[in-house]
Amino acid sequence: MTGGADRFAHNRVLQGLAAWYLFIWIVLAISPLDRQDWLLENLLALTTVGLLLWSYRTFQFSNLSYVLITLFMTLHAIGAHYTYSEVPIGFWMKEAFGLSRNHFDRIVHFAFGLLLAYPAHELFLRAARAKEPWASFFAITAVLSLSGFFEVIESWVAQIVSPELGQAYLGTQGDIWDAQKDMTVALVGAVVTIGLTRMSKFPFGSVITPAH
Amino acid sequence: MSSKNLLLKGLLLWYVIFSLVMAISPADRQFWVLASVLPALLVTGLVVTHQAFPLSTMTYILITLYLTLHTIGVHYTYSKVPMGTWLGQILDLNRNHFDRLVHFSFGFLLTYPLEELFRRLSDIRGWLLYYLPAMTIVGLSGIWEILESWVARIARPDLGLAVLGSQGDIWDAQKDMTAALYGSLLSIALIIIVRKLMQPQAFATEDTAAGSLLEEESAEPS
Repeated sequence: MTGGADRFAHNRVLQGLAAWYLFIWIVLAISPLDRQDWLLENLLALTTVGLLLWSYRTFQFSNLSYVLITLFMTLHAIGAHYTYSEVPIGFWMKEAFGLSRNHFDRIVHFAFGLLLAYPAHELFLRAARAKEPWASFFAITAVLSLSGFFEVIESWVAQIVSPELGQAYLGTQGDIWDAQKDMTVALVGAVVTIGLTRMSKFPFGSVITPAH
Repeated sequence: MSSKNLLLKGLLLWYVIFSLVMAISPADRQFWVLASVLPALLVTGLVVTHQAFPLSTMTYILITLYLTLHTIGVHYTYSKVPMGTWLGQILDLNRNHFDRLVHFSFGFLLTYPLEELFRRLSDIRGWLLYYLPAMTIVGLSGIWEILESWVARIARPDLGLAVLGSQGDIWDAQKDMTAALYGSLLSIALIIIVRKLMQPQAFATEDTAAGSLLEEESAEPS
């Protein structure tokens, strides 16, 4: 049995992902639009990175999972830099498609389900040794419940930080059904990914079991 | 066995009769129809699967309790339940909190049924067996809030947040989900305490026998 550090030393993909995230994180840490909001958003991001590092010794995700996680973390880093509601590509989309507001946060909520349902599925299959269809069910439920939990935390932050602002708070951007829509897109993303994973002829088993 | 079956028939009879009584002139017939679909499906599912996959008596009791509360809420369109209004007057609350109470009950009463389902069907063992029911409760609460928002936007687009479910509170969905989570966590804590008290060794060795404790409880009287 090789140790975590030894595995990392032989995994070029993982080294590349770590280097990429470190680079993009540092670049986006330089003068964000709102330092307080950036700190708040990064509390979750850094906790996630910490958990991934801490658990690497005992549990390694497949490289595909690490790629998906890195993609999501990159999107989140971009959102945090621009306080989500002012991401340039969101403004571009708003004008191109005639939308009422910057939808970058909605995209990241969708990406949360689309990108992280696969790692969650892997976790339930390999770490919890759940059988199908339970692993699929739990992966989708995990995404949905984490989305809900995130909305709860967001509402706490909003009520503590700016109780007078209420609906105008960044997260909801004036939409009373914002929380429900965020959870819906995350759920749809998760269902799409799990559906593809289950239907695909691609031998996910070989990807799921890390090379020794 | 027969006493268990008698109890189950009693629960079903209670639910059917109570539903029929509560179906008489509800406060809002449209809402009543919408909110009665899911419970009807659930009960039908439980009756159909009972022969092939009988659940513990405790589970059936908890589900009946929850559905009874829900039936009361649906009859009065939740925001007009007399008990909630009375609570509001006594505790000087700004709204009828009966629905919040039922959200809490959703977590508190349905966590054990989920735990039983996962324990017996999914091969999951250890602490995850206590984490997953709470996780599922939050997820199902989220789905309920999503459905509620769809109904509100389709049926009463003019009302916005004044719609029944949220009663004008912009953080209503989040508070509902939190209430369900608290109920679920309390339930998990109770399950762990009961199991520790009743069979310490089995709990420590993570034996499957520990899981059947609550079923044995119901077998005692016979």
